[in-house]
Amino acid sequence: MTEKSLIEIKNLRKWFPIKGGFLSQAKKFVRAVDGVSLDIKRGETLGIVGESGCGKTTLGRVLMGLIPITDGSVHYSGEDIKKIPNKEVRRKMQMVFQDPGGSMNPRMSIRSIVGEPLLVNGLSDAAELTQRVAELLDSVGLKREHMTRYPHEFSGGQKQRIALARALSLDPEFILLDEPTSALDVSVQAQVLNLLGSIQKNRDLTFVFISHDLAVVRHISDRVAVMYLGKIVELADADEIYRNPRHAYTKILISAIPNPDPRNRRDRAPVEGDVPSPIDPPPGCAFGHRLQHPNWEKSITMDLSLREISPGHWVQPCPCCTEVPPEPTQIRVSSENNRKPPPWERGD
Amino acid sequence: MSESLLEISGLRVHFDTLDGQIEALNSVDFQVKKQQIMGLVGESGCGKSVTSLVTIGLATCEVDEGSVKYEGEELLFRDSESTTKIKKISGYIVVISILLSIFGGFWTLIDPIQGRNILLGSLTVSTVSWLVGFFFSKDSRTHEKFMRWVRGNEISMIFQEPMTALNPLYSVEKQISEVMREHDRLVEPETPTINRIGEAIFSPFSLIYRTVVAKPQSAAIFLSTAAFVMLAHSRGFTEEAQSWSLSLMLAVPILYSFSQISKVRSLFTEEMTLEERVSMETSFGSGFSMDRVDPTSGSVFSEYRHMGTVTSGYEMWLRNQNPYVRLFIHRFLVSLQGIPVALAVTIVVFLMLWMPFSALMGLVVISNLLVLPVVIWLDFLKLDPAHSRQVQEILEDVRIPNPEAVVKMYPHELSGGMRQRVMIGMMMSCEPKLLIADEPTTALDVTIQAQILKLMKDLRDEKGTSILLITHDLGVIAEMCDDVTVMYAGRVVERAPVNELFANPLHAYTRGLMACTPNIASTRKSVLPAIPGQVANPSDFVSGCRFCQRMERQGATLTRRPEMIEESPGHWVEACPICMDETKDKWE
Repeated sequence: MTEKSLIEIKNLRKWFPIKGGFLSQAKKFVRAVDGVSLDIKRGETLGIVGESGCGKTTLGRVLMGLIPITDGSVHYSGEDIKKIPNKEVRRKMQMVFQDPGGSMNPRMSIRSIVGEPLLVNGLSDAAELTQRVAELLDSVGLKREHMTRYPHEFSGGQKQRIALARALSLDPEFILLDEPTSALDVSVQAQVLNLLGSIQKNRDLTFVFISHDLAVVRHISDRVAVMYLGKIVELADADEIYRNPRHAYTKILISAIPNPDPRNRRDRAPVEGDVPSPIDPPPGCAFGHRLQHPNWEKSITMDLSLREISPGHWVQPCPCCTEVPPEPTQIRVSSENNRKPPPWERGD
Repeated sequence: MSESLLEISGLRVHFDTLDGQIEALNSVDFQVKKQQIMGLVGESGCGKSVTSLVTIGLATCEVDEGSVKYEGEELLFRDSESTTKIKKISGYIVVISILLSIFGGFWTLIDPIQGRNILLGSLTVSTVSWLVGFFFSKDSRTHEKFMRWVRGNEISMIFQEPMTALNPLYSVEKQISEVMREHDRLVEPETPTINRIGEAIFSPFSLIYRTVVAKPQSAAIFLSTAAFVMLAHSRGFTEEAQSWSLSLMLAVPILYSFSQISKVRSLFTEEMTLEERVSMETSFGSGFSMDRVDPTSGSVFSEYRHMGTVTSGYEMWLRNQNPYVRLFIHRFLVSLQGIPVALAVTIVVFLMLWMPFSALMGLVVISNLLVLPVVIWLDFLKLDPAHSRQVQEILEDVRIPNPEAVVKMYPHELSGGMRQRVMIGMMMSCEPKLLIADEPTTALDVTIQAQILKLMKDLRDEKGTSILLITHDLGVIAEMCDDVTVMYAGRVVERAPVNELFANPLHAYTRGLMACTPNIASTRKSVLPAIPGQVANPSDFVSGCRFCQRMERQGATLTRRPEMIEESPGHWVEACPICMDETKDKWE
């Protein structure tokens, strides 16, 4: 572990079981996050991009401890996150949700919404609260007199500012931003992005920025991780990944961004079809399967864990989507073979 | 080519609210040319959607002036002033006389003759005045009929959220064929209706058959229960059987526990597979999972304590038991989960035994007889194979893979991109000449967005459909459109061919929109030039330049309405002297 990393994720998995019907034995799992390893460095912004259904949001929620981990571990500054009491975790890690209106109680005034974390954690008493909330609102560009209003009186951009003020109220070290601008207009989005940038600079925060808008992610992030079907397929510096994408999926995502210049319209060849269901993901490289690549079958028996091809540029080596030469063939040992059979199968 | 298909000129509309009239659009002018894609861009609250809804006559606002011409045909309809007045007055008279007739009804209790006179008199008055109103609204009814024909046949609309625009209760096939039936586009049916009615009667049996094939275990239990009830009725031992049905309370949980055998197996193995562990955790709460026990410390599940699912040291004790004791205890615990099911089954069986057999059968027959006419009338029958093929062809047109399977699906089974395609397919089923797409890709991922845009472009190229594309994404505009109209606060501020607009944006708002979109080529982590503030509330709109209002400028521009001028051929702009001046732009 390097000294700098704030959050260390090791081989994280989150599987959701699907309930079978009455008396049915079949059990299936949605493999929302399936073996993700990441280091989040202190003070950086890590962007996570991918199509919907690829597990971006689930990854965020698991690393915040909002839903229990199935397998693997998350370490927050060297400590296992499952062992840190909930209250302490929340003081260090905060979250801004996608739908700003849905994440606020419509019956609470802005003062109580922003001030509630302070009261719950005993960081402020009622007398001091108004002053603290006013400072927080000021730091996100809202006025003191907004304090007595209710969420429905604000526009989308202002609500997102309030959500940010609430996240900042406990003075956290880390904020998870789950699609914070996707519900906003472009001009308001620019305002919120500028605000996020200045807050990060002033408070020395670490951000994880989840979005499906690649242009926005590139603008705000230091590093970008591209997710596909519960796995990270490429991870690199933001400039590097856009200038020199190595995985086919990253290339397609980047080429699909509409170019705001009508003079060089390209006839883009977007990838066909949708993200396959994470219930029964194809073996091997999932994107090679979607492309129906002739080399896809070779990837089934290979070790597809990320490899560093140049400093800081990690990519999933597979014969179908990247030109990265794969490591010598390894047959992966399935956990089924290791399992001891139950007594009636053993015959004792 | 350059002939215009849709021509909107001088459109001004307002909404009537409790706070008075709120102006939504103010002199909107633009044309959609044949076989062209017109982009309509602006932020939310700029009146883009209202414009499109007014065009197809679905808006709930009042049109003050202006015209919407579709191939020279006026789409807006306004009653003359005298007609409006007469309709209003006749409406009032109807309401008052109906109230009077209710009063008359009560008055008969006091004075029968007088009451009856009041009742009959007021009913006559209300009928006459209703007829007068009906007569005067003849023109508007004709127009509504005309609009119903225009919508779908000539102009159709793709809505922003395909999930809310599709009905979750009907299959894709049903919804598309419904549109086609409404517009008389279906071919002659292959099978006569009587056959399809027959199919509907037999469908419960085929359903039972399919269940037996798919889930023999569950079906066997239900069928044997039904057989037992029939036997009890025919042999006449229902009264004894009623008491036996209580034994189901014991039997069902035991059967249930046997059905969950895969969970039991994991109790005997030291290492569980990930699948088994997850299923254990969900059935007992995460505290129950075996491998979370820390044998050295003795403190159980310290890691789970903060998640609130902690149980006692019970699992430790259980782990030290004999495997068969563990099996028994586990089975017992699983059976407890079967108790609610057992209760429901027992009650149903008890009711079936308690009811006389003839009543039971009568219930089935009568409910069938009652339901069938409704099914036929509402046309819930299975779709004719010819129509089904027609729908499949439409889905093929919008590039849906495997349309045979998709036609039978319901909207929730489809992904966002597929739903949007179904929506486009539905709208294209009547081959309209103009397609209004209201933010068709806003909710979609970039890859799916690229697919949908390509599809719309192909439609234009193959079928010559004109498209009015409403969006707030300038990237999409640049990629798709031939002409662009920029709207701000209910007004058109700039209108130009796409190359001209992007090369030479004249209005400050257009420039601001272009500048504040993050771009792959822009400097990373720089401060984006954002337009400050937001679109003003429609009730606070000034009469002058509304963008100056947003930029909090003072002066004459706020009060005097800037004129639309043609700067270069085809490039129209609202000529506010400050907004036109590039040096005055000050973005944050």
